[in-house]
Amino acid sequence: MEHILPWDLTVIPSRFFLFSGAAWYTVQITVLGVLLGMILGLIAAFGRLSSHRGLSGAARFYIFTIRGTPLLVQLFIIYYGLTSIVTIAPIPSAVIALGIHNGAYIGEVFRGAIQSIDYGQMEAARSLGMTHRKAMRRIVLPQAFKRAVPSLGNQLIIALKDSSLASAIAVPELMLKGRQMGSSSFMYMEMFIIVGIWYLMMTSVLSYAVHRVETRLKVSDRD
Amino acid sequence: MIVTDGTDTLHSSTEQSKKRQKKPTYGEVLRVEHIGKWYGDLHVLKDISLTVQTGEVVAIIGASGSGKSTLLRCLNFLEKSQKGEVYLQGRRIKHHEKQLNKLRQELGMVFQHFNLFPHMTVIQNVMEGPVQVKDMSKAKAKKLAARILEDVGLSDKTDVYPAMLSGGQKQRVAIARALAMDPKVMLFDEPTSALDPELVGEVLAVMEKLAKAGMTMLVVTHEMWFAREVADRVIFMDEGVILEEGDPETIFTAPKEERTLEFLKQVLPPQ
Repeated sequence: MEHILPWDLTVIPSRFFLFSGAAWYTVQITVLGVLLGMILGLIAAFGRLSSHRGLSGAARFYIFTIRGTPLLVQLFIIYYGLTSIVTIAPIPSAVIALGIHNGAYIGEVFRGAIQSIDYGQMEAARSLGMTHRKAMRRIVLPQAFKRAVPSLGNQLIIALKDSSLASAIAVPELMLKGRQMGSSSFMYMEMFIIVGIWYLMMTSVLSYAVHRVETRLKVSDRD
Repeated sequence: MIVTDGTDTLHSSTEQSKKRQKKPTYGEVLRVEHIGKWYGDLHVLKDISLTVQTGEVVAIIGASGSGKSTLLRCLNFLEKSQKGEVYLQGRRIKHHEKQLNKLRQELGMVFQHFNLFPHMTVIQNVMEGPVQVKDMSKAKAKKLAARILEDVGLSDKTDVYPAMLSGGQKQRVAIARALAMDPKVMLFDEPTSALDPELVGEVLAVMEKLAKAGMTMLVVTHEMWFAREVADRVIFMDEGVILEEGDPETIFTAPKEERTLEFLKQVLPPQ
């Protein structure tokens, strides 16, 4: 094999599971980051939908700046930029950056989903005597969440891949592990193929899970 | 069946002649005074005043764009009128969130497009109001909902989702959902306009049953049969005003206004 290709791909199986610890870090910062992103996204969505000028302006500014700048810049601002005020360790920095970054996108997903719910639903709830807040919580949001699931799943997959940027601030996740293993063995191609396979496995599992959730949610509304 | 004001019971008179005798009334329940409503420059309701007596069935008819749906929606403040007052049992309703929520509990609303909650089963739809707004226990609400669904003929559909129902069934669920709040007045906003013709009858039958049980009803409708045979009073609206009102027989056979006659000629089949 080494006569045909300049790489020794046969090492892949034996080294593959040396990456499992790093993959676990990738999973953790992604999941925590997206959870934070969902909280921020919900706040951003309500901000944008608010009739309060200050609130909607703030939400608009958040979405505008975060979507308009690279995640790597946001990551460096939090990890390096803030050091004069507060020092945040690499992993929390990565989670916060991923959260803020995804919050902007998820906010727009939620806003779109909430606005897509027929206004008659809100009217019907209000006509029963529900407060606006309760009507949102009981009637509009459950339907909006359901409608947001495909986009949220998509965002989760993007976030998983984006988490590789955390390697730049020394979070011991998959990408950093790949670089370390590559430089110590000089087998960069082999190591990054392993890294790629790990990402592909995880994104496949996610797509399948999202697909399952979608089909299950479809049971109730078929029109 | 439906708890109204504890006066009438269903099937009180099995022999109904074509013309019902006037029901006894128990005083005013809902009154609006000098309602004025604009959409920008468009003046859609022009100084409308109206009083509804307990137990009365009022049909509001008129061409589309005459303001009849808007009037109905101003009664429970789904639309805010710029002028005028609403009184429930003589008490003026202030434009205050808490008071509006209280008022809406007393005015059941049925929409043209049903607006059922698609993420809830039929019985959950009916239970939602009592449980969430009146803090009724789930067990109690479930019993109540089951009874009302039986009244509207949907006992066999309690656990299905609205998407599985026909339009007529959906509207009957919507009526049940409104009734579950035990309202003083039921507002119907063109309840049969979105239905296939063959499904109109089952909804009108439920409404007629409700009327006979003594429910106070305000019905915006294009169903002239209902206005004529079930209503105690018919209101004809034209260009944002109540042009003419009276008992159905008079309105349908001897209208005073030229516009009323014209409208009736258009909607009624030629004799």
